[in-house]
Amino acid sequence: MRKHVLAASFVLLAGGDALAQAELVINSFGGAYEKRHRELVIEPFEKANNAKVTVVTVYSADMVAQLRAQKAAPRFDVVHLSGGLEATAAAEGLLAPIRPDQLSNHADLYPFAVANLAKGEGPAYSAAVVGMLYDANKAKPAPTSWLDIANPAYGGHLVLTDLSNNWGLLSFLMINKVAGGTLDNIAPGLDVVKKTLKGATIVSKSPEIQQAFAQSDAWVAPYAQDYAFTLTQAGLPVKFMQPKEGAVFSPITVNLVAGRPNSALALKFIDFSLRAEASAGWAESFRYAPVNRKAQLSPAAKEGVLSGEEAMKNLVTFDPIKIGQMRGAWTEQWNRAIAK
Amino acid sequence: MKREPLLLLLGPVAFLAALFVLPVAQVLVLAFDGGDGGPGLAQFARLFADAYHPLVAWRTIRLALLTTLATAALGIPLAYVMHRSGGWVRAALTVVIVLPLMTSVVIRTFGWLVILGRGGLLARMLEPLDLVGRNFSLMHTEAGIVIAMTQVLLPFMALTVLAAISRVDRSLEEAARTMGAGLWQTLRLVVLPLARPGIVSGSLLVFALAASSFVTPMLVGGVRLPVLAGAVYQQVTGTLDWPFAAAQATLLLVLALLVILPYARLGRARGA
Repeated sequence: MRKHVLAASFVLLAGGDALAQAELVINSFGGAYEKRHRELVIEPFEKANNAKVTVVTVYSADMVAQLRAQKAAPRFDVVHLSGGLEATAAAEGLLAPIRPDQLSNHADLYPFAVANLAKGEGPAYSAAVVGMLYDANKAKPAPTSWLDIANPAYGGHLVLTDLSNNWGLLSFLMINKVAGGTLDNIAPGLDVVKKTLKGATIVSKSPEIQQAFAQSDAWVAPYAQDYAFTLTQAGLPVKFMQPKEGAVFSPITVNLVAGRPNSALALKFIDFSLRAEASAGWAESFRYAPVNRKAQLSPAAKEGVLSGEEAMKNLVTFDPIKIGQMRGAWTEQWNRAIAK
Repeated sequence: MKREPLLLLLGPVAFLAALFVLPVAQVLVLAFDGGDGGPGLAQFARLFADAYHPLVAWRTIRLALLTTLATAALGIPLAYVMHRSGGWVRAALTVVIVLPLMTSVVIRTFGWLVILGRGGLLARMLEPLDLVGRNFSLMHTEAGIVIAMTQVLLPFMALTVLAAISRVDRSLEEAARTMGAGLWQTLRLVVLPLARPGIVSGSLLVFALAASSFVTPMLVGGVRLPVLAGAVYQQVTGTLDWPFAAAQATLLLVLALLVILPYARLGRARGA
């Protein structure tokens, strides 16, 4: 927090004067993520362009709130957003649109990464992918479909995640879609979930999933690819799979803030974030899906993340603005469906 | 009333007004938000539209009552033993009861997760005796919630009852025993009636804390056994539906008062 305030006041001091021409102000997400962010993108960019990049730790929701408050005189050049907030920011005119020809890496990117450029959102520089985690030793045969949550072969060994958790929500929306539902009608998904309830454990936080796999004989859980990696590192025989109906992706985007003077350098930074090396780095360290086709992955990472034309074509996403509007109503219906 | 006591009251009253009365009033105003800008009962209509929310409310009250009974069953004998034993036994028991209060309720509840869970301490103790099946777990059950809440709230009961029992004149007990009453008779006819105000206030304290507790029910009970306070927490932090959360909070307040007020009166009338 103190660091945060300090950094913010530094931004205040630096903003607006001539120095700002050679400097970019960006946000990142703190902790190990930010450390890796510096290694993969920020420091190489500073060296290559003889520029100074000031990093402020601000999470997506706070970042959009700050952009809103600073709309008249924004203090960030480039903002990283996740959880669909780039859609909100773009719709409110806080971001400057980016054209494909402004990105030298554009031709190497999978289509999903640049799908929303036309809507004024920045490109995805990596993506969290939600599919199914399973215990490779016990879940036999391995699951292949989202509807396998109701497969009697895994009865009593299923872990579902509550809708208050973003990955739980995306998994459920996908189950609902496969079961024939839409964002306006989640009854088909709820019916599938209700059928599984007898033997399912419903959790609300990631560590509970680890606990379930480690101690409580869980075999199958719809959840995020990067968390499968966390479990593997903890020594659990857990694998991630993309169901045949497709996995859900939640992009992590790098966006150009509207109304800043040095947008040329900012665009360079955004393009730099999309390099194959950075893309591969995110996959190696955190198992976020690469956005760049040319990303060279180690065998271990190749097994742990979705990559390649076929898998990427099969990625599904849901309208984040609609999710924002419906979330309350969905939670209410979900709570009723699962309550004992 | 003399002026000095009034001056002494000034601080606490100002404190309560600013930090309790005003927020509660705000919650009430919010709860009667009609949804169309004016006041109305729309939130309460939603609350009673079907059986779901009333069942959540009933679970809340039921678990709080069970927890109160369990803490009384354990706390009253404990308080009596502490009262009768002197020296280091009493000191040791006091430490055992007070020590958990020094730890956050979250930590204490986490302890229960380890004990109650599948493959946890309890399961490993009971399984070899063939008392329970494989995969036995009290996690995500109402029994688990009551067990964990009883441990968390036991100090409030035991210490309140201890204070009351300590005020009972030892010679009354001795007189009863001299006149031929056994231990149980003495307890039932002399000690417990005299300690009643303490038992009543201990029960009220435990009931109020149990009914409004959400950390323990959420962690031990999980998402499938919602209680009112947990539902309020979810509305306030997750779905951001504050008027509905206020209506749920109001329901919790009314239900708690419905239990507490008659009970408190009863305690005072009989204890006097």
